[in-house]
Amino acid sequence: MKRILSALLLVCLVLSLAPFGQTLAAEPIKIGGMYNVTGGMSSIDAPGLNGMKLAAKQINEAGGLLGRPVEIVAIDGKTDQTAVTNAVSEMINVHKVVAIGGLNDSTYALAAGPIAQAAGIPFVTAGATLPTLPEQIGDYFFMTPFGDDAQAYAVAEFAVKDLGAKTCWMLVDQAYDFTTALAAFFKERFTALGGEIVLEDKYQSGDTDFSAQIARLKALSPQPDVLFVSAIPNEAGITTKQIREAGLTQPILSGDGFDTPLIAEVAGENADEVYYSTHAALDNPDPKVQNFVKAYKEEYGRAPENAFAALGYDMMMLIADAIKRAGSAEPKAIRDALAETKDFQGVTGVISYEPGKRVPKKSVTIIKVQDGVYSFVKEFTPE
Amino acid sequence: MSKNALFYLALLTGLVFLAQSMLNDYYQRILSVVFINIILTVSLNLTNGFVGDFSLGHAAFMSIGAYLSAVLTLPPASKASMMPQLPMWLSQLEVPFVLATILGGLLAALVAAVVGIPVLRLRGHYLAVATLGLMVIVRVVAINWTAVTRGAKGINGLPAFTNLWWVFGWALVTVYVIWRLVNSSYGRAMIAIREDATAAAARGVNVTAHRMLAFCVGAFFAGIAGALWGHLITAITPHSFSFLITFNVVVMLVVGGMGSISGSILGATVMTLVPEFLRHVETNLSLGGHPLYGLSQIIIAVTITLVMIFRRQGLLGGREVQLPRLFDRQRALPRARVDTAG
Repeated sequence: MKRILSALLLVCLVLSLAPFGQTLAAEPIKIGGMYNVTGGMSSIDAPGLNGMKLAAKQINEAGGLLGRPVEIVAIDGKTDQTAVTNAVSEMINVHKVVAIGGLNDSTYALAAGPIAQAAGIPFVTAGATLPTLPEQIGDYFFMTPFGDDAQAYAVAEFAVKDLGAKTCWMLVDQAYDFTTALAAFFKERFTALGGEIVLEDKYQSGDTDFSAQIARLKALSPQPDVLFVSAIPNEAGITTKQIREAGLTQPILSGDGFDTPLIAEVAGENADEVYYSTHAALDNPDPKVQNFVKAYKEEYGRAPENAFAALGYDMMMLIADAIKRAGSAEPKAIRDALAETKDFQGVTGVISYEPGKRVPKKSVTIIKVQDGVYSFVKEFTPE
Repeated sequence: MSKNALFYLALLTGLVFLAQSMLNDYYQRILSVVFINIILTVSLNLTNGFVGDFSLGHAAFMSIGAYLSAVLTLPPASKASMMPQLPMWLSQLEVPFVLATILGGLLAALVAAVVGIPVLRLRGHYLAVATLGLMVIVRVVAINWTAVTRGAKGINGLPAFTNLWWVFGWALVTVYVIWRLVNSSYGRAMIAIREDATAAAARGVNVTAHRMLAFCVGAFFAGIAGALWGHLITAITPHSFSFLITFNVVVMLVVGGMGSISGSILGATVMTLVPEFLRHVETNLSLGGHPLYGLSQIIIAVTITLVMIFRRQGLLGGREVQLPRLFDRQRALPRARVDTAG
């Protein structure tokens, strides 16, 4: 028995040394699709991978890239940093991908990015919005979405120019980096445009009673023109509901933390005059958006689940665009072409990288919720 | 050291050397994860397998080791830009990797002592609850102590110091220390406590002190593993060290067999390599056009369930694998055979 077991142990060691993946013929251009298809991130990562695969399918139907088909090497990151880094390393060292795209959260992007950076393989994140990611990781890291600074600026400009706001009350979730950063960027632009923050109040994610904050808001005289709520999806509905139930009617503003059906579900009839910024509106009449929605429905039998499907699609198209312009599928050439991306027409907006920057200067979509119905308002690029 | 021990040490070193010079980064990375998991499982075995306390604190101790070592090894230039609020003396400090790792382990052991002093005086499964609580506390501290941990942003850009040699070396140290400890009078006392704490106390064993010793030594090596993990992944956030990590280590321990060091090594190796291998399978398979993501997790879960039904004592069930003696005919010293508690 002991001998068998020790033999088993040795077999395990030997097996672990034997390469179990094999490189296929060098014919297709291999792109890594790095998403957490299972686990906590799957509700936004799985649609992202679907969007990416749809884009690759369309590219191949149109004749591929440089006369070669595109092949997506998709490995599940399991919402686990170790699994994500293993997967990225496998894509690079075993499958020899020329570029990698994916991931919608900075926790995983920060783990995956440096491996690609060290290997000289471009990594394009589909949905992680921390604006400092490219600086933190390096010159092979690009972002498909706008940074949180851009969406906060867009909301501030929208508030001042379109809603004519001069004073604002802020409610900020202290528990997340995303919410505090969003609030800081909003405040910066709103005051730069001549607005005034009359009161900045706070809460912790998980709170369910906002009566103290709302009482302080009601005590303000004169009342502020707009209310900015920096929240994650969890609190989007409940804050809206309680503010409206207190009889306050000013417009409520927020970032893509409000891009959730929870506003209508929780606040119901009270969900009116709510404006938020996000990556794409699926009811945007722009033919680019409508063609994507139609193609996605045909492929998967359902409408895109959220904006991350569109971001995954754009990420793949962005890489394809760079390969075409580079005229080469060499990682270095792809990186250089990516850095020079200009006026790329994506479903989620127009993407350009300014010299030395790898966060796109990109249009932001504003959505309005009125009587529980979400509708597209406008799409513009903040200054 | 006997000729046999030297031979196996040389053999393993040779294998690691071969792996390090011939395998690409991906396979080296997987092997590194195997060794880190061996450190975690063998060290958890001391508390959970030999003393019979059920600790769930490994993720918390890893977190402590990873954060402290990260703050110590980051070059002053990146500390200045990433953590401007860090005290001057700390931001100027740049400590060699090995020292940072050891300090990470020591801090983890210190925290274990602080938690252990009140909790380990109690009987029953209080340790499981307390260590679970510790995990939440460590995460909340990591999120809110922004001056040092950078909060939810996490620390990234850690120097990628961890390579096969470091993890191999630390795994050797861990196995050696735990093996010596278990086969000393301390270890005998620990096993006595596991079998019957009252009887052990009646025989003059200081129950609390031995439980403390096991808990702190386990935490020390978990801190070491955390530091090695941090410098392998190069990015740590408060969410890196979740209950999932603790759970994985417990599974490795249970599958290998509690109360057996070779069982822990086997469990960690199998439970790291098999999911990785299955992932290749699921990536290449599809059912009616749908890729079978998640298949590997299902297979693992079913396997664990089957192990629990048909072989509750784990693969090795408390026994040790004896490597064949190749050089001397000298008989193995009579070893006390202790069967696992059911």
